[in-house]
Amino acid sequence: MTLRKKSKSKNRLCGNCHYHNMYEYPDLILCSLRYQNSNDFIVPTLGCCEKWTPDSQECFCVEEAMKKRNKNSVEHCKE
Amino acid sequence: MKREDFLREPVVHMKLNSKMTVNEFIQQFGNSGCFGAGRLSTACDIFERMIRDDECTIFLAIAGAVVPAGLRTVISDIIRKKLVDVIVSTGANMVHDLIEALGGHHYKGHWLVNDSVLYGYHIYRIYDIFVPEEDFTKADVAVADMFDEIAKESNSRTLSSHELTREIGARLTDSKSILRAAYEANVPVFLPAIRDSEFGVIYQFHMKKHSKDKILQVDAFKEVPEIIEIAKKSPRLGMVVIGGGVPRNTIQHAAVTVGKGLDHAVVITMDRAETGGLSGSTLEETVSWGKVKKKAGKVMVIGDALIVFPLMVAAVLERLGDKFVRRVK
Repeated sequence: MTLRKKSKSKNRLCGNCHYHNMYEYPDLILCSLRYQNSNDFIVPTLGCCEKWTPDSQECFCVEEAMKKRNKNSVEHCKE
Repeated sequence: MKREDFLREPVVHMKLNSKMTVNEFIQQFGNSGCFGAGRLSTACDIFERMIRDDECTIFLAIAGAVVPAGLRTVISDIIRKKLVDVIVSTGANMVHDLIEALGGHHYKGHWLVNDSVLYGYHIYRIYDIFVPEEDFTKADVAVADMFDEIAKESNSRTLSSHELTREIGARLTDSKSILRAAYEANVPVFLPAIRDSEFGVIYQFHMKKHSKDKILQVDAFKEVPEIIEIAKKSPRLGMVVIGGGVPRNTIQHAAVTVGKGLDHAVVITMDRAETGGLSGSTLEETVSWGKVKKKAGKVMVIGDALIVFPLMVAAVLERLGDKFVRRVK
């Protein structure tokens, strides 16, 4: 197991938002804010919305989802 | 007592061979009769005695992370065999049961690991067990949906924790699940500290989606007379404790409230008595409260429940034999 460099990315991505809980690592998260409003609450880690709130959590999900996306050349939402 | 009273039974040294069964091995522990080996052997004798006593209600207390660590099926099997009548557990152990019932897993890990890296990967650690956050999240969503359904069906009626666990058990399909086994065997599962676990988070998920009149109502005090009633109806009371804490004292409280005290008690713990905490309190101390009878068959096994409990169950199952059917009046 290697010690990973912490993600420095603080783009307005769901995976960098305070309301994220991992649902399917690294691609999908559960947005607890949307869950409370009964909206579609499973969203892409690299998605974004107007209620984005920065999170202090230094996790690897955005970094890993980006890597996976780049590998698969999938369209995504940018800042 | 006279001098010879202290010197009645010599230690018989253990003899091991390659063909020993679990019970034969435990009997060698009994021949020694000393330290943890002697206590484990006594625990097997007491557990067997309470099972064979057809007027004894057996309570099983579960605390500490034994379900994620691998005791899940041992517990659901003894429920199905009707070797226990009532479960009193921490909420967390039943959440871990649900995680597996709903498709999640617990992984063999290590205690010597960089926890910041685990945090970054959304992995939780329970000593040397790893649990992916997504397995918790998926269980949260599924159980919150159950809460929605149960709240709707209960029609504003307040439930006790064992009524709630029964409703949850009814909605599961995994035959290895403790809650499913308890539902099928009609064994109540009390969670006296239910909010002190992921159930608290699940409740919050559920609560925020509904108006106040549509929220699931669970009353911690409602189950007090319910568990007391079980103890009251039973001529004799037995308790097996994995860990201690709130589950252990919930049982002891029921026993003392009905003025009986427990007749049989096995406690498996690694906690110490010196702090005054309940998990480490000796069964002799428990006698002073009237929670355990002075003449009860009682033993406290100081050891890892993940080793002690399966050994005890395996030895007792062997003694009972495959055809044994427990009858409780």
